[in-house]
Parts: sequence; structure tokens; C-alpha cells
Amino acid sequence: MLGYYTRLAFKSFRRTPGLTALMVGAIAFGIAACIVTLTVHHAMGRNPIWWKNNVLYAVTMDSWDPHQPYDPPHPNRAPGQLTYRDATYLYGSDIPKRKALLSFVTGTLSGAPGQAAPVWTMTRITNAGFFHMFDVPFEYGGPWSAAADQGPEPVIVLSRRENEKLFDGRNSVGHTILWNHLRFRIVGVLNHWDPQPRFDDLTGGGGGNFGRPARAFVPFKWGPALHLFPNGSMSCWAAVNTYRELLGSNCVWILMWVELPTRAQRQRFLDFMNAYWAQQRTMGRFQRPRNNHLWKVSQWLRLHHIVSNSSRLLLRLAFAFLAVCLINTVGILLAKFLRGAPIAGVRRALGATRRQIFAQHLVEVAMLALVGSAFGLLLGLGGLAGVRALYAHSYSAYGKVAHFDLIGIAWALALAALSTLVAGLYPAWRIGRVAPARYLKSQ
Amino acid sequence: MILNIRPVLSAIKRNPTGALLVGLQVSITLAVLVNAAWIVHQRVVKIEQPTGINTRDTFTIAVSGSAKQFNAGAAETEDLAYLRSLPGVAAATVADGVPLTGNGGDTTVWLQPGHRGRFVPSAEISMDIEGIKTLDVPLIAGRNFRPDEIVPYVPGKIAPSASEAIVTQALAHALFPHGNALGKTIYGAVPKTIIGIARNFMGPQLGSPVYNTIIYPRLPGQGNYYMLLVRTQPGRRDAILRAAKKHIAASHRYGVIVYTQTFATANSLMDSSNRNVAILLTLVTALMLGVCCLGIFGLTTFNVGSRTRQIGTHRALGARRRDVVTHFLLENAIILAGGALLGAILALVIGEWLTTHYALPRLNLAYLLVGIVALAVVGELAAWQPARRAARIPPSVATRTV
Repeated sequence: MLGYYTRLAFKSFRRTPGLTALMVGAIAFGIAACIVTLTVHHAMGRNPIWWKNNVLYAVTMDSWDPHQPYDPPHPNRAPGQLTYRDATYLYGSDIPKRKALLSFVTGTLSGAPGQAAPVWTMTRITNAGFFHMFDVPFEYGGPWSAAADQGPEPVIVLSRRENEKLFDGRNSVGHTILWNHLRFRIVGVLNHWDPQPRFDDLTGGGGGNFGRPARAFVPFKWGPALHLFPNGSMSCWAAVNTYRELLGSNCVWILMWVELPTRAQRQRFLDFMNAYWAQQRTMGRFQRPRNNHLWKVSQWLRLHHIVSNSSRLLLRLAFAFLAVCLINTVGILLAKFLRGAPIAGVRRALGATRRQIFAQHLVEVAMLALVGSAFGLLLGLGGLAGVRALYAHSYSAYGKVAHFDLIGIAWALALAALSTLVAGLYPAWRIGRVAPARYLKSQ
Repeated sequence: MILNIRPVLSAIKRNPTGALLVGLQVSITLAVLVNAAWIVHQRVVKIEQPTGINTRDTFTIAVSGSAKQFNAGAAETEDLAYLRSLPGVAAATVADGVPLTGNGGDTTVWLQPGHRGRFVPSAEISMDIEGIKTLDVPLIAGRNFRPDEIVPYVPGKIAPSASEAIVTQALAHALFPHGNALGKTIYGAVPKTIIGIARNFMGPQLGSPVYNTIIYPRLPGQGNYYMLLVRTQPGRRDAILRAAKKHIAASHRYGVIVYTQTFATANSLMDSSNRNVAILLTLVTALMLGVCCLGIFGLTTFNVGSRTRQIGTHRALGARRRDVVTHFLLENAIILAGGALLGAILALVIGEWLTTHYALPRLNLAYLLVGIVALAVVGELAAWQPARRAARIPPSVATRTV
């Protein structure tokens, strides 16, 4: 039966090629718009480490000015980063399974074989826990040891990109390289690691929410040891004059992440923070209301408004467009089916049931949806390329995430094809209900 | 010509579903069209806001170096002397931020000491005595920094905070709406005296309001990173940028150029997301309008096709071709009017929603009126061709059997 209906549908398409093209075109454009916006939206809202969402936490404490909130439009929000004093104290806790402090310093890399001039590199100062906690993949070697964090030992991890630049992508583990003209031993080279959005650092200091990850990593203590001023994001509410003053100051410039696998650990760490807060408060710090918080990755992403307003707006626009396209298709289908009513009348008179007429027309709708979706997919991929080109030179993340994303596209396609089918139900039902007698008499 | 509306209404009544569907398309299209145009207008306003600085002849060179060995203070002094000696350079300064890029600081300016009372958010940038000359920003009142107010570089120190500041007109007005800001003291980490008021320009942080910017005398030695801003004489920018890049790259043993960028590029980057959203909105809205017109065209064509005999009868009974065209255009106009009515309500609802959720200014009703008129004209044009075809149906078809 299906084969027969398919043939009938083909005949029907051939009878009205213009209308058919119109419907396919409308469906395809509607679907393409949805594919582009849904893909981008989905990519922006993605949690790049969803499998650890319930164990990783960003740590915040409100150490800010008693007279003024850190973020005046959101007075209940603590700064996203910690002071050196608080970060190093909290890092001393052995409650978390893993823990890491994160900041950026600038520096040069030189001394690789065949390298002419030093290259400038934003260097992430952090702890070994960073690599374990975020499941960072290594191409060669691995993270440095916990002992290297304590020393600090002169060990460095290069990104894959930096290793390609300096060592042509060869295994450079064990080589010595000059980091800021100090000899550092390469212990690891990362594999491709480019989480989007950059959930680990949303301070804007590392190139924005969708920026590239750091190119080189050294133990956190090298920053304070060499008096390297942080080069990422830093906020102060009182003047500081020297590096030593910075370390004792209320400037916030360190991100802290902890891995707390159980609820009990989470509660213990929160209690630990609260006890520290209370103790420091008696010494005159933390004069704002208590606001110690552990943020899950998903909460952290929401807090930082990763999905842009423009993205939301364009997504809604695309759905409105799809709606117009579908209403349009319903209108045309209805007109087309009703014009074919005499044929349906004859078929009914010859014994076809209402259900069969309905099924026959639904097959026609389904084929339209199928062809429309196929063209829509092609158009959508073209649209994504267009958006990438449009946003190639832009601060906005919209272009960076406009990539082929199987889940995003599958969602959009399924949604659009299904809605087309649903839209086609009404015309197919209407034609199934025509009374045969009316079309059998001559006019 | 008498517009006889009754037969038109009864024609719509015979096939209400088609008319309803087209009316629905018209209403959604109108609502989206009006609000999209309003959003595009807001974006264009943002793009067209003057930067207040010379973006044509100015560029940035960012320099950094090895953490311990690179003497940023000595290097920046050397670079500035070199740049100022170059023929064709109008002015050069060292700065801790770059206007229009988001690369730089923001701060809160207070009217009372101890972070009390009223405060105003502002972007901040520190530059030396040639700073405002480099950006090509004239002083409206007061004076520029004096060389002795530029804080000298001390290795290992962040630099003491300066006690002088130049503010933009916008910031001066926000701080002192009733009086002359010149000579007044403002408070942040340390008290500062306003010594000059500059014409409005966009600072490094582009939050709102965009023209609130405060300039401090250069505070050198913060880390091992500095930015050189250079303005050349017209037309010399690219040649001087090339020469300066080459010279500076070779002149510091432990220093490297991090990046160079022209202000024109920075400006275009700054506008790009507004521009791109405007382009995408316009594109999708135009497609939507196109699909809506196809719907109108399709419905009228269908109606003409299925009423051939009636049209013939109508003609045989004395209707002129014009009357047939009028009939179809009137029928379409009624559908459009219904769609427009629903669409206007929808547009206002969406507009209200955008105002509360996206902080967009309330929809200007002129946009709604223009939108309705535009859609009416385009909608009637879409029905024009099938209506003309209907008029060509000869009266004789009425007398033929099928």
C-alpha cells in the first residue's frame, strides 16, 4: 500500500510542480533557519564537562568592599575569584579529592631547538589537580606531580599547538625549554583540548567565554615566587603598590576549583569555608553578609550568562519563521488537496475508506517533509558556514560555535520534520472527510 | 465604481480556512517585521555612535617580555622616544588599555571618601602627556597632565596612584550634574582632583554609559606588559606601523611584540556583533515576508482557479474586468486587515516582552504603522497577478459545461 501511495504522491507532485517546489522551499527555509540557530544555541548552552557536573565546584567568597557590592546590579553576588590569602588557605584543605588554583601570567618561551626568537605566551599558573579534575587529555607525558606543586619545581606542560610550533609536534617530554629565560623541564604535552564554552575560566581574562585555552602551564607557586603580576582578570577595591602588598590585599585574581565526589564532602568543605569566614571576620575582614558558595559547572555557566541574548532572540525568530513557513504549507496543501477532491471522491466511491484517503494524503505530506528536510539540512549547513564567515572577525562567540554539531542538527531536523508532519495532518484529515457523492455528479 | 463588499465577504465565508491561514501568516509576519525593524534600528544607532577618537590614523603595539629580565619601564621609554622621533608620527603615548577593545580597566568613581554616597561607573585608562593628543580628543576645559605628574617607573612596584585625573564631559556631568566639575575632588582608591575635561570618547570598557571615561597619568611598571598608542599623519599609518614593528621587535633583547592592531580594525570588531545581528535579523525577516507573500499569491491563485465558472458568470452578467480585479484585491485586503489587526496586537505584546526581558526601548508606534502600510502594499502586490489573470477569464466559460 505504501508503495502505491508513494507513486500517487509522485503523480500529484508532477501535476503541480510549481506548488510542490514552493512547499518544499518553504519547509527547507524554515528548517534551515532552525538548524542554524538551534545549533549555535545548543553549542553555547553546552556544558563541556557534563559528566562531572555534580562533583566539580567553583569556589567563591565575598571578600569585597563593605560599602559597595562587587557587582552593583547584582548585590548578592560575590566576586568570581578569590584573594591570594583566601585561595591559599582554602587550597590547604585536604577535604577535596582534587583542587586547583588558576591564574594567568605572561611570559616568553625560548630555547627550543631551531627557534630564532622568543615567543610570547599567556601562561596558566595552576596545580596538578587542574589536569586530573578537568580530564585534560595528554598526547605525551602527563601532569606534574603533587611534589612539583609544592617546590615549586621548574616543570611545564605545553599545549598541543605550542608543541607544534616549537617542536614540530614531536614528543618533547624531557626536553628543557626557557620559560621567561628560566630552565623548565617539559613533563607533558596536551592533546587537543578546547572546551567550548571555556567553563574553567569565565573571568574574561583568558580571551573570553569562548576563547582558546592556555598555551603553557606551570605550577601555581611560580607566580608568587617570581613576583609575576597576574595578567588575566584582577579586581581591587583598594590601592596596592608592590607584589608583596598584592598577596596580602583584598584584590581578587585567583579562580579556585575543587572536586568533591560526595554530598558529605561538599558539606564538610562548605563548613570549612564558613569556619574560616567566621574566624577572619573577627579579625575585621569579610564585613559583607556571608556569601560562601560552591557552584556546579552548570550553575557556574548560567551565572555567567554564556548564552547570549542575541542567540536567544535569533532562536525565537527562527521558530516564528518556521511557524509562518508551516502555516503557508498547510494553506497550500489544503488548497491542493481540495482541488484534487473529485479524484478522492471517485476513489471513495470505488471503495476506498476514509482512513485510506487520509493515509494516502499523509504519505504525500511525509514525502514533502522528507524532501524539505533534506534541502533544509543542506541550506542549514550552508547557513552555518555563512554565519561562521559573517562572524569570522568578531568578538562575538556566535561564529565560533556555529559548527556542525550532530546533536544540535538532529534536534532541529527531528523537530522540523515532525512539525511539518503535524501541520499536514489537518489537510489530510479534511480531504479524508469529503463526501464522494458531491464530486460524482457533473456540475 | 461601487465597492460591493457583500459578495466578497460571502466568498471568504465559503473557504474560511484558507483565509484564516493567510491571515495568521500576515499577523506573525507583521509582528516579527515591526519588532525586528525596531531592534535593527537600535543596533544601527549603536554602530553609528561616534567613538570620539581618531580611528583612521591610530594603531596599537603591545609589548611584553621575559618576566624577570625584561625591563618594561626602560623599554617603554626607549620605544616612545623612537616613535616620537619618527617623521609622520603625530603623537604617541604609552597606555595600560586600548579604547574600543575591552582591553583595559573599569572603576567606580565616588563623590565622598571611604566609598560612601553616590558613585558612577566608568572606564579608566592611564596615559602620558601625549595621551589625549594621540587619541585626538580635545580638552573642553582645564589642562593636560604636566610631565612631572607622570609617575616614574620603579622596578618591582605597581606605582603609586596618581592624584590628578581628566574626565570626559559625560562623566563630569554624571558626577556633577549642576556644577563645574573642574577642580573638584573625586574618590576611588585614593582622592583625585579633576584637572581637565575632555570631549566625549569611548574608553577601553564599553559598558554603559559608553562615554564615561577617566584618564590618569601613566602609572608604569604594572607587570611586564605595556601598550603603545600611535597616531600618524593622515595616510602614513600603515608604513609607520610596519617600520615601528620591525624596529621594536629588534630593539629589546628580552622583549617581544605581543600584537599590533589598527584602531580601524578595533572599531570594526566592536561594531561587528551589532552589525551581524542586524544582518541576520534583516535576512530572516525578509525571507519571512517573502514566504508570506507566496502564501497570499498561492491563496489568490487557488481561489481564481476554483472559481473560474463563477467569474465567467459574473462577467457574463455585466461585470467589467476591473470589477473582477477589484473583487480579488478587496477580498485580499479584508484578509490583510484581519491579519494586521491580530498582528498589531501580537507586535505590541512581543514589543512589551522585549522591553522587559532585553531592556529594549519601548516599541515606537510609528514602526507599527509603517509596518502595516508596508505589509498592505506588498500583500496587495502579491495578489495582483492572479487577480489580473482572473480578469482575463472570458464570460463564455459560464456557458460551457465542464
